[in-house]
Amino acid sequence: MDMNIKQLTQDAALKLKLYLATLGEPLDKAHDVISAGDAGLRSGELSELTIITDLKPDGARNLRLIFETLKGNLTGAKKVGTLHDMRFVFLENDTRLLFCTCYDGDWDTYINDFATKIPEMMDLIFGNIEGWPGIKSPTVKEFILSKQITASAWFVSHPKLTVADITRLEKIGDGLNKLLEL
Amino acid sequence: MFLKNLFKRTAEKIELQDIQAIILRDRPLPYHGVNVFLEVLNTASGKAFLKEIVPYVTNAKNWWNNDDAWLAIAFTYEGLKKLGLPYSTMESFPDAFKKGMAARSEKLMDINENAPEKWDAVFKATGNHIAVSIFAKDIDDLSSKKALALQVLEKHQGVKLRFQADFDTPIEGNFNHFGFRDGISNPEIEGSGAVQLNSKERPIKAGEFLLGYANEAGNNYHMPQPLEFAKNGTFVIFRKYHSHVAAFNKYLNEQAKSKDEQELLGAKMVGRWRSGAPLNMCPFKDNAALGADARRNNDFDFSNDQNGKIVPYSSHMRRMNPRDSKMAVMSDVNLHRIIRKGVGYGPVLPNGSTKDDGKERGLYFIAFSAKAMETLEFLQKEWVNNGNFVSLKNERDPIIGLNEGKGTFTMPGNPLPRRYIGMPTFNTLKGGMYLFMPGIRAIKWMSEV
Repeated sequence: MDMNIKQLTQDAALKLKLYLATLGEPLDKAHDVISAGDAGLRSGELSELTIITDLKPDGARNLRLIFETLKGNLTGAKKVGTLHDMRFVFLENDTRLLFCTCYDGDWDTYINDFATKIPEMMDLIFGNIEGWPGIKSPTVKEFILSKQITASAWFVSHPKLTVADITRLEKIGDGLNKLLEL
Repeated sequence: MFLKNLFKRTAEKIELQDIQAIILRDRPLPYHGVNVFLEVLNTASGKAFLKEIVPYVTNAKNWWNNDDAWLAIAFTYEGLKKLGLPYSTMESFPDAFKKGMAARSEKLMDINENAPEKWDAVFKATGNHIAVSIFAKDIDDLSSKKALALQVLEKHQGVKLRFQADFDTPIEGNFNHFGFRDGISNPEIEGSGAVQLNSKERPIKAGEFLLGYANEAGNNYHMPQPLEFAKNGTFVIFRKYHSHVAAFNKYLNEQAKSKDEQELLGAKMVGRWRSGAPLNMCPFKDNAALGADARRNNDFDFSNDQNGKIVPYSSHMRRMNPRDSKMAVMSDVNLHRIIRKGVGYGPVLPNGSTKDDGKERGLYFIAFSAKAMETLEFLQKEWVNNGNFVSLKNERDPIIGLNEGKGTFTMPGNPLPRRYIGMPTFNTLKGGMYLFMPGIRAIKWMSEV
């Protein structure tokens, strides 16, 4: 009972601090997050995927070699056309991997396309994860889903803009600027 | 029949005599037919019916010859269960098939006007177990094939006829209710024994359309178990659309002044002129001879129109088969094809009328794919009810998209694009289901297991 009262008081104090810190600023609906389906969060047109998983014994070594060769530059991911960002972080003495990405729509819709368009790249990278069934495997969707950890909160600046939108707007902006400079 | 001239014989690497004819045969011109839905009241009776109907199910041997009437049979998940298939078989079906089309409405964007609550009562109810389709080139052939099937049915009291849906070519010459030539482009299947003479596309791996064969990725899609049940089978998409022809005519009238401009706008929305002639082969004017020539009317790619100024990216034809279009999102166009055997129903609206007569007319959309549920969800979500894949934000397919009076249609032009607004839904969904269409041997297996 005493414990409960103490907890409630603490919670109330925390909420008050939060209120003061944000000055009670109202929440903008445009940044609401909802469930992206089976796992992950969705904000407007964008979704997030977070995975923490075991690496195979040589996994970190192989991935490091790939990333160092590319100088950490993953330009190739651009051709997917829906990826806003991707991040690979090694954890716990190179035994585990943190993988985060933000992308347009749903990843599972395009999994078959990955399997025929970029199967080598997918398996070269994700094949270092313990249990990876291969991008062409019928169970790859379930595997990814089983590793996914849904974020608790997520902010994206422009939830309405897909990669395709940003590419188009950048082109329009560049064109207009060129016109103005003439 | 002239159709035979369209095909070049190639090697046969799939078991045509075990595959149902409907999957590979083209509809006859004109076509007549019926979809019959049956309910299995009693498992033993259902199995006995299957055993007796098997000899009447047409196989795909010599499928390029479609002169005689043909019969096809397919089963819903509920129907397969009622027919007493083993638990392990029932469990092995993909989730979307088990749940059914209505339950997946969110994933299919079948919402608002198209939501299952708005469907015809007969598609909302349970008890749609078996679907039998008969296609024929004339009414007499249809009647005699139908009589044979009904004779078999009458002997089995435990199988009840729920409803029958007749269909006919809406407008002579294979035109749909909107007045456009129908059913032109279907994928060619590797190893099927014949290919159509389209030089710009390659045949697609059989495993995309039939179970038990290698797909485009080089392996097999998930199959129900055991193999003898799945082999040579496929999944069927059945969707009933109500076509709002008057609304379509009215929209063209409101948006464009002259008759020529209206026809051009309609052609831009479809991607083809009414005759079937693709816009990119005759950008300014319909060409009836080209439209009617099956050897030429699908023999093209978009290499001469990568900016979409002739065939808009948003047009129905380009959305459903982008061919070599440069897309904003990496997509393999050979993975999202379906074999379509859609058919029209209902009386024709008088030519050009903008007044709805309140009559039901439209399309039974019937399509086949080894991963039909996944493909339909992809198409509905990405290519029909979205535009991001071609950098058009949320713009939807002008013909089959859920536009609800808020739809836009972007027509690239010189120098600026034109955007049409306020587009209603021209085809609303009135019902739908997924079915499994087994091979001929598998039907026998089902009757004995």
